[in-house]
Amino acid sequence: MFGEKVIELIKESERNRDTIDQYNDEKVRQIIEEMHVLFKMNMADANATTENKSLWTTVQVRHSALERNKRCLLAYLHSRMGKIKTLRWEFGSALPSDVRELLSDSEYEWFSKYSTSLAAYMRSLGREIGYSGIDLTENLRPPKSLYVEVLCLTDYGKLELEDGDVVLLKKHSRHFLPTSECQTLIRRGVLRQIT
Amino acid sequence: MGFLDPASTEDDLRTGTNVEIPLWLAESLYSRRPPLVSVDLPKIYKEAYREILNADACTVDLHKLGQHFYDLGCYVAKHDIKGEVGNTLVNTFKQRFRMILSASTSTDSISSLQPLSNSERIRTANAATTEKALSLWLKRGDCPLSTANMVASHRKRKRAEMEMV
Repeated sequence: MFGEKVIELIKESERNRDTIDQYNDEKVRQIIEEMHVLFKMNMADANATTENKSLWTTVQVRHSALERNKRCLLAYLHSRMGKIKTLRWEFGSALPSDVRELLSDSEYEWFSKYSTSLAAYMRSLGREIGYSGIDLTENLRPPKSLYVEVLCLTDYGKLELEDGDVVLLKKHSRHFLPTSECQTLIRRGVLRQIT
Repeated sequence: MGFLDPASTEDDLRTGTNVEIPLWLAESLYSRRPPLVSVDLPKIYKEAYREILNADACTVDLHKLGQHFYDLGCYVAKHDIKGEVGNTLVNTFKQRFRMILSASTSTDSISSLQPLSNSERIRTANAATTEKALSLWLKRGDCPLSTANMVASHRKRKRAEMEMV
């Protein structure tokens, strides 16, 4: 029956609402193949309908299947678009390589364009007051203390603070750092706050 | 159009045959002029089940009978001649509301989530998140910084995949 492959695609995207999956290029190509086949059959039958009126219903059925496929494909792409937007807000503008593989090429292009527009918007904020822009992707809650104690979760490497000190972030090492430096890294999951 | 009915042996479907087709196909065929099909309600929205739901909706296992009970009901209600389906949906939801509330606060999630339909489960999950956020806020007053939602779930999935390999 038509329209079954698209449903599998949608179920795949619904299964993990919090993460994004690998772009299922194979399935998308199969569905577009199916749509081509349906379209060709319909063209043949529509030309033959002038002699035989009873083929009209078949054309209708195939046309509904085509529209259904198109709608479901668009829904799949749209849900991925929403997830990619969240990726920008949570991972920052530089995606780690394993996340980068999950997106298709056009999706990555869209991501970079979105990133650029977002950065341009953030830079334009606060211009009247004299700021060079506010980073909206940071933690939006006001900090409770000037310094925080953090535990490092992965081997991140060297972190340079504002006053020039260099801190080496190794796995399971604890540090006492100013909040402003740590915010991005905590949100990215590199550090964890200990209280 | 014989391919629509798996039981028929001929190539063409005759008028008057009963076929089961998906809703999207039925809707579009129904709305062509002249309508190519007439739609019959699915089992759950018929008289017998309606009686059961009106009597006591809390004992019905909506997950087994029809996961997308409410959403499908909204679409199907158009084809109902008497117009009863809409009332049934509202009544069912009113009766099951308490169940949803108790499911969102309960710790034994598996058995309380079982009889709920898909949309009810989503609402339960949202209620549980809100409750957790509220209790967290009341307990500490300050909110510690935490990793972003998608990053955390991405990490968890990667770890699970690594363990499987």
